[in-house]
Amino acid sequence: MAIDFRLIWEKLPFLLGGAWTTFSLTCVSMVFATVAGLIVGLLNMFGGRVLGTITRVYIEAVRGTPALLLILIVYYALPRFGLNFPQFPAAAVSLAVCYAAYIAEVFRSAVESIPMGQTEAAYSLGMSRLQSLRYIILPQTFRRVLPPLANEFAALIKDTSLVAFISMEDLLFRSKMVSAATYDYFSPLVGAALIYLVMTLPIMQWSRSLEKKVD
Amino acid sequence: MADEKTCSTGRILDVVDLHKSFGTLEVIKGVSFGLDHKERLVLMGPSGSGKSTLVRCLNWIEPPTSGRIVFDGQEVQAGACDIRKLREDIGMVFQQFNVFPHLTALQNVALGPIVVKKLPRADAEAEARELLAKVGLAHRADHKPGQMSGGEQQRVAIARALAMHPKLMLFDEPTSSIDVELIREVLDVMVKLADEGMTMIVVTHEMGFAKEVADRVIFMDRGLIIETGTPAEVFEHPQQERTQNFLSKVHLA
Ligand SMILES: Nc1ncnc2c1ncn2[C@@H]1O[C@H](COP(=O)(O)OP(=O)(O)OP(=O)(O)O)[C@@H](O)[C@H]1O
Ligand SMILES: [Mg+2]
Repeated sequence: MAIDFRLIWEKLPFLLGGAWTTFSLTCVSMVFATVAGLIVGLLNMFGGRVLGTITRVYIEAVRGTPALLLILIVYYALPRFGLNFPQFPAAAVSLAVCYAAYIAEVFRSAVESIPMGQTEAAYSLGMSRLQSLRYIILPQTFRRVLPPLANEFAALIKDTSLVAFISMEDLLFRSKMVSAATYDYFSPLVGAALIYLVMTLPIMQWSRSLEKKVD
Repeated sequence: MADEKTCSTGRILDVVDLHKSFGTLEVIKGVSFGLDHKERLVLMGPSGSGKSTLVRCLNWIEPPTSGRIVFDGQEVQAGACDIRKLREDIGMVFQQFNVFPHLTALQNVALGPIVVKKLPRADAEAEARELLAKVGLAHRADHKPGQMSGGEQQRVAIARALAMHPKLMLFDEPTSSIDVELIREVLDVMVKLADEGMTMIVVTHEMGFAKEVADRVIFMDRGLIIETGTPAEVFEHPQQERTQNFLSKVHLA
């Protein structure tokens, strides 16, 4: 079974159209997931007992179930309760809800990696908890959080392929469409793999170089 | 009333029967002492005797389990008295410096007044420059802690505490994490503070500093004060065997 590069080349515009869906879905989901993840993470750490428990349940529930399940629920089950999402928003919402939980954990471990002495020094100056967060802890957190966030971004690019299950024409889905039309079940997938790599590798590389800078 | 007032100008701090436990482990087992304005107290004792814990209780970084703390005429109680106001008035210098690594030396010093005292930035930074000059770091104002030696970082930390105009300064082994050849520059700053009349409590094993500066030495062991007196009394004629043992080890070191 040979790789038919001519076929890949011929169908490249079609595949790139799918890659655009993949990329824009990743970006939209990531923005919402990051904002929500920051809020959830802060509530989990500093929101007190009730909010802390609620956010913990949410984080563990999401981490303990497949992302695909959430996508299927949002797209197929929620309409029965009168909540109708078109494909793209349904996918974006599900992925954002998932990744917000992961990202909340990223923020939490970044905050926890900052020595207690920093908080104590802030308190010893008479700062409130909120002030010590705002001026001392969070600014230090944001540096440490960039590399793991970039890794989450790369992971999200790959996880968007799950939307093929709700027939969204992302990169993976379109490569399968090409396969179905040409009876070549290999080359289009290789094409898709190469395009995924073009998107993920630079991000992972960037993340690694950031990590070095932080140390 | 007038009598009370004259009384309280002499006294800055009274600690009465202070206890502190971590879970079931009692670390401070009933400590009482007082401190007058401008008095310099050195706290010594073996590792684990509770010196850090005691000092950290004084500004409520560690809330005491029981006992009374009267600071500047005000009884300190969690909730009742404003702990944050207390901390504004008590400066603290840590063994590990705990300078803010994302800020320059100048920003480290100016941040407290800006955020807590709501001072205009320009005023706070002008004073921060003066304080940095005072600790010998005028030329380092725009450097971040990562580019500084331990001695320099600790002097930034001292300037940072001074920027709040504290009535009392706490030092918890300020030179224990600093290269030997840089200890002097930190001690010099502390001696200068003492000469200017700063009230201070210093946990340290620097005998020379204690002899030079301390009005009184308190020796702690296993959560209790076991000996107290002038440096001459405690160092030359220790009454307790445990003090003698400890001092002989420090002298050797
Ligand atoms: N947060 C904590 N939780 C539990 N135990 C603690 C805590 N902080 C201190 N301790 C314990 O309390 C005891 C006294 O500790 P502390 O740090 O006050 O001693 P120290 O006299 O400052 O010692 P060193 O000279 O080593 O600094 C030690 O046994 C220590 O393990
Ligand atoms: Mg200690």
